[in-house]
Amino acid sequence: MTLSPSDFAYVAGLVRRESAIVLTPGKEYLVEARLLPVARQAGVASVAEFLGILQRRPDQNAHRSVVDALTTNETSWFRDREPFTALTDVVLPELVTSRISTRSLRVWSAACSSGQEPYSLAMTLQQFLPAGWRYQITGTDISTEMIKRASAGEFSQVEVNRGLPVQLLVHHFARSGTGWKVTPALRENITFQQMNLTAPLPPMGAFDVIFLRNVLIYFDVETKRTVLRNVSRLLRPDGWLFLGAAETTIGVDESFERVAIGRTSAYRPRATVPAGTLGKG
Amino acid sequence: MRLILRRIVGQLGFEVADAEDGRAALDLLAGMENVPDLALVDWNMPNMNGLEFVTAAREDARLREMTLVMVTTESEQSHIVRALAAGAHEYVIKPFTSEAMIEKLALLGLVPTGANT
Amino acid sequence: MSDQTTPTVDNLREIAEQVWSAYLDPEGIRPLMLGETSEASSGVSASVSLTGAWHGHVVVTCSSEAARNAAAAFLAMETTEVSDEDMTDVMGELANIVGGNVKSMLPAATAVSLPHVVTGAANRFPTTRQICELAGTWLDEPFSISMWQSRELAEVPAA
Repeated sequence: MTLSPSDFAYVAGLVRRESAIVLTPGKEYLVEARLLPVARQAGVASVAEFLGILQRRPDQNAHRSVVDALTTNETSWFRDREPFTALTDVVLPELVTSRISTRSLRVWSAACSSGQEPYSLAMTLQQFLPAGWRYQITGTDISTEMIKRASAGEFSQVEVNRGLPVQLLVHHFARSGTGWKVTPALRENITFQQMNLTAPLPPMGAFDVIFLRNVLIYFDVETKRTVLRNVSRLLRPDGWLFLGAAETTIGVDESFERVAIGRTSAYRPRATVPAGTLGKG
Repeated sequence: MRLILRRIVGQLGFEVADAEDGRAALDLLAGMENVPDLALVDWNMPNMNGLEFVTAAREDARLREMTLVMVTTESEQSHIVRALAAGAHEYVIKPFTSEAMIEKLALLGLVPTGANT
Repeated sequence: MSDQTTPTVDNLREIAEQVWSAYLDPEGIRPLMLGETSEASSGVSASVSLTGAWHGHVVVTCSSEAARNAAAAFLAMETTEVSDEDMTDVMGELANIVGGNVKSMLPAATAVSLPHVVTGAANRFPTTRQICELAGTWLDEPFSISMWQSRELAEVPAA
């Protein structure tokens, strides 16, 4: 029972958009094997049937399960590196100047998955912020399962080898059973919460930096607009939005302007007044 | 393990030499005209273990430019801290995937851009 | 010595998952299937000894066929290309990795030996008792990982 070429192409497209993984023909067995548990969990007997339903009724949650099942162990710390370099090179220095009166920053990791992104953000902020500054990170994800995992902060030997400089490993983690667990000091400034970005969002206060990476690709244009509108309401007027490597707001939401930083881009609310005369930051 | 590492770094374009223990490695290095860019070092070896090798390499002016990456099952915090204090640049805990090894090498600037990963 | 520091079969399972995911089954489609297994009459058995604050052995045992498959996976070769030396090396490395990860859960002053590989018979350790075993099949061949503790020390009454 092998996948039809069109089903395979559908899955390959989904996975390629989300990760660097290219599923070449010949890997049908892999897709079958990895997606069978996902199909079963959705109460469907076969992968073909599951994919049929998914293609007729696209579902964000199911899309995520499919990609997660085919990209396990692919989640890296400081994913893509450049956005984190952009933070330390440009964004944080600017915020440290503009937020001097409050000396605190708020960051939202809006598709935090198993937690590597919010913890990477925490490591970056801890390293960069001067003494006396505080930060708060909110990590949200549509999956309750992922939120539980991220909140626990435990990672396997194989997971901590992925893109995490060893100096940060020994500084921010402690051995726990056969794996590693984040230290209380790293964990304490992060809150985790289940959240659906396409629905009206609960009040969360305004953020200085939002990471919304590799989530928009799952949505059609209308839903992308809804999500960006929801998210931008929670971004400070002089805040910074980071999207995934292949994503952009251009053509989707004109209220953002793109700013090139090194080899990556960030998006900022288009100023209705010239920079420097923005209200309380 | 040496065979596996040979395969991974060989694919990145490295020329690979190997030795059985720290002492044999130092002897091999003494005879080389060009000092290698990278040394992947296990911890538990007879004659001279990985920590001793790292210490010796960092003390040798000729070998000082070599990037030292430990590749070992020793995963206690104290071991890692000692290796870093002795001068190791990075540390890979076994088991590791080849992507993880390549990412660690990329962090150290040792993967030429466009290399097959 | 508190029993909480003694590794359990769950810990062995976590370690095995890591090893399979990194070397023997990176695509996640040929896992170690746990369950009853008949002891391989002739196979390969690799062990490392733990000494110091804890005394015992970690043993990885499987059939020759399974060892051949493991070597092929580890070294990215065809099973037909695998030599006896490759099998010994890879089994030794598996014992080394599992043993090393087990050791990191034991008291700090524990040391792990270089691996010892035996073919055609299982490794036998008189004066030890088995603490836990992860047994099953991989690619339909018997495969087991077990931990043994030296009996004398295990029976020393608490001070």
